[in-house]
Amino acid sequence: MSRPTHGLRDWLLQRLTAVYLGIFLVYLLAHFMLQPQHTYQQWHDWVTQPARVIAMALFILAVLVHGWVGMRDVVLDYVHAISLRLTILSLIGLSLIGCGLWSLRVLIQAST
Amino acid sequence: MPLCPMRLAFLSCEWYKFARQIKVNMTTQRSVPVYLNLLRIRFPVGAVTSIAHRLSGVLLFLSLPVLIYLLDLSLQSPEDFEKALSYINNCWFEAGLVLIIWSFMHHLLSGIRFLLIDIDKGVTLAIARRSAWLVNLCAPVLALACLWWIL
Repeated sequence: MSRPTHGLRDWLLQRLTAVYLGIFLVYLLAHFMLQPQHTYQQWHDWVTQPARVIAMALFILAVLVHGWVGMRDVVLDYVHAISLRLTILSLIGLSLIGCGLWSLRVLIQAST
Repeated sequence: MPLCPMRLAFLSCEWYKFARQIKVNMTTQRSVPVYLNLLRIRFPVGAVTSIAHRLSGVLLFLSLPVLIYLLDLSLQSPEDFEKALSYINNCWFEAGLVLIIWSFMHHLLSGIRFLLIDIDKGVTLAIARRSAWLVNLCAPVLALACLWWIL
């Protein structure tokens, strides 16, 4: 294993994304607490407001980074057979990328 | 030194003795306990919080496609929006949703706890234990409150 590892960088990324995710999700929760019922139009307008689309795109990116570092750490801790580990890690990576592209498409479709 | 047949035989003999010794060591001289009774190991409360942080993280990762699907559906058209709402109000789906929201609340609260500990807040054992209890108990309560309020 000669690949240089970036433990500190990942540690920091995990925490920075955590702070953003936490703030955004508490904001989301507060919104739903203040306004539990939506009609389709209200919901659509709320999501597609430009500033919110940007915040959500950032949120998606943060989820991908945070999810990747977290899931990778879990797999490295509990799965020791190299081939199985690589298989699971690539499945996780691919599904995260898939989720990212899908949610990006959802945002773009909704706001155009 | 060239490898003549005699020497090869000698080497394999040495190798055999070596391998045999390892085998003997492994079978007879093993002094580590191999049986751990998981029911008798008491987990400290902080360990429960920590392992639940991981578990809830994995659950949240697994629930991502479901959540994105609901978002997708809810933004397509008024009919699909109603369909997404009816999914959420389905009792089977709601059971899963309880689990997801509990995971989310636990992940959020214990995450905040870990961040505070990272900046040296609440590091002493007494406070760390108390905050771990607080996180473990508040997460399900907040999750239920959240469900009751929003749905």
